[in-house]
Amino acid sequence: MRLPELYKTTAFRLALRYLLVYALLLGTALALFALVTNLLVSAKIRDDLKQSLSTIEREFDREGIAGAQLAVKRLLEAEEGGDRFVLLIDAEERIVGGNLLRWPAESGIALDGKLENVWIEANHLPVSVDDDEVYWPVIATALSDGSRLLLSHSVEQVETLNELVELLVEVLGAAILLSVVMSIAIGRAILRRIDVVSDTTAEIMAGDLSRRIEVSSRNDEFDTLACRLNAMLDKIQALVGSMRDVTDNVAHDLRSPLTRLRNHLEITLLEPREVDEYREVIGKAVEDAEALINTFNSLLKIAQVESGNHREEWSHFDLGALVKDLVNIYRPLAEESRRCLYTRGIARYPVFGNRDLLAQALSNLLDNALKYTAADGEVLLALEGFENWIELRVVDNGPGIPASEHERVFERFTRLEGSRNLPGNGLGLSLVKATCQLHKASIELRDADPGLAVIIRFPRPVSKK
Amino acid sequence: MRILLVEDDQEAAAYLSKGLRESGNTVDQAVDGNEGLHLALSLAYDVLVVDRMLPGRDGLSLIAMLRVGRIQTPVLVLSALGEVDDRVAGLQAGGDDYLVKPYAFSELLARLEALTRRALPHQDELTLAVADLHMDTQSHEVKRAGRKVHLQPMEFRLLEFLLRKPNRVFTRTMLLEQVWGYHFNPQTNVIDVHISRLRRKIDNGFTPALLHTVRGTGYKLSASP
Repeated sequence: MRLPELYKTTAFRLALRYLLVYALLLGTALALFALVTNLLVSAKIRDDLKQSLSTIEREFDREGIAGAQLAVKRLLEAEEGGDRFVLLIDAEERIVGGNLLRWPAESGIALDGKLENVWIEANHLPVSVDDDEVYWPVIATALSDGSRLLLSHSVEQVETLNELVELLVEVLGAAILLSVVMSIAIGRAILRRIDVVSDTTAEIMAGDLSRRIEVSSRNDEFDTLACRLNAMLDKIQALVGSMRDVTDNVAHDLRSPLTRLRNHLEITLLEPREVDEYREVIGKAVEDAEALINTFNSLLKIAQVESGNHREEWSHFDLGALVKDLVNIYRPLAEESRRCLYTRGIARYPVFGNRDLLAQALSNLLDNALKYTAADGEVLLALEGFENWIELRVVDNGPGIPASEHERVFERFTRLEGSRNLPGNGLGLSLVKATCQLHKASIELRDADPGLAVIIRFPRPVSKK
Repeated sequence: MRILLVEDDQEAAAYLSKGLRESGNTVDQAVDGNEGLHLALSLAYDVLVVDRMLPGRDGLSLIAMLRVGRIQTPVLVLSALGEVDDRVAGLQAGGDDYLVKPYAFSELLARLEALTRRALPHQDELTLAVADLHMDTQSHEVKRAGRKVHLQPMEFRLLEFLLRKPNRVFTRTMLLEQVWGYHFNPQTNVIDVHISRLRRKIDNGFTPALLHTVRGTGYKLSASP
């Protein structure tokens, strides 16, 4: 994984951004801290020097050189650490007090009681000091008897402070470095997890729909995402599969009638014929085309019902009245073909749904029942209300459907053995099932022994008991 | 009839206007919604055939503009594959009937004729008649050549519908829609059975036959074939 690629990851960029802001804030705070404390400490040292000088001068004014000597001694004893350095030299240039070994920068220090920074060398000092050979604040004055007094203070405190700041800067630098390394690591880890997903999707897009995203045992958010994506892929694969089946079926089931239609017309054109013969053939062609259009429309209708886009056409109506109407429409057909169509329990059952679709579904069921029942056979249409559902039963005493085929007959273009010579396109029950699903109704086929029972249960609105 | 056909598919428009002209109509053609609206607003037509999807201005907007302009010419909306859901939208927008492609030309023709007749004031006669077939809508009495014919309620309704609109062809789906009030597509010959039962009662033993089958289309009640 190259760095530019890594830089593109959100985790890495976020980490880097926060790091930058954090470092900037902390750096500023540190700089301010160093500056302020430096100023404060130096000011304190200067005050201390001035005060000490005036104390010694006061003692000198009161008790002469001996007083000054005593004050110097007391001053040095008062402080344990020994940051103060004093030198008292009398008029004869003899050292009479203090702890400095000699007068620093012999000529350069003005004896005016004003502060200045003076270069102090190691051989001036009685003890070795960490920060020797540096500029220290120094104050010097001439006393009235010709002796000279010099006070100084080491800047060790300031130095220590500065060292502390330096250390903090180093720690900060190390923290930044560590954060960068960690961001890279996190970015890489995330990229690796995402790469698994994107590699898999690339393979799926290349055509292998059976590929699935690897799920680790960590059970983290990436695994949740992977599981969801895999579930989605399962569904897509199933849909694509059923779509492929449908397309295959459509191609297969439409090829034969289309070929028949075309060849019939082609053969008619081979030689001149009587007008009546043309009429006959064209009339047949129109009928064939009509049947094809019918099949197409049924397929489209099933697809639309399955997609659920029919809500606009929903209304409140009486299911009992619908069943009664359908029976009235179908009774003559049943009687003409010597089938008995009878009903049971038809009463008022208010429902909310697509009336035309339900009429179509019931019509398909009646078509089937009448088609597959032998002459003198019986078809029963029953409606019964239960507490939570309304049950519609269409029962015939025809040959029935073997239990192993109960699921398959709902698929598009399914035509069972022995029914292939009867009219029909194998789409009727598919539409019935789609209509039931649209109305949240269950549909079940049962053996009526002999015959087939189709049982549809419409959920009953709770308020309309 | 004077028909305005608004259809952008040139080939469909060509065969539709050919078919409509050969059925004895005058046809004007428009290829987009704005041209169609302009023609419909400026000339008087008996009926409009409007495609749902049109360049310039879609079919429903065209109808809406017409109705705003207080032009009540009946409109039949044609819709492409997979737009069955628009049926309600099409009718709500002011369309009078709706056909989904692919449709049979005979169905279109039959529906157009029904639309133009529907535009006439409703006839509420007490007695209806074609040739020597008479119906009293009050006493529910039907007579052919003076002889009483006994009809079942459903057969009576079917005959009344056909008697009110004689000489017009009705497809099976139109009959199902207008006599029984259901819009669906039966896969078997349920409607034909109703017709043949009615025919047995009113035509058997009488001449001429009044209830005719129009091949590939549907049925009509007429004194002449």
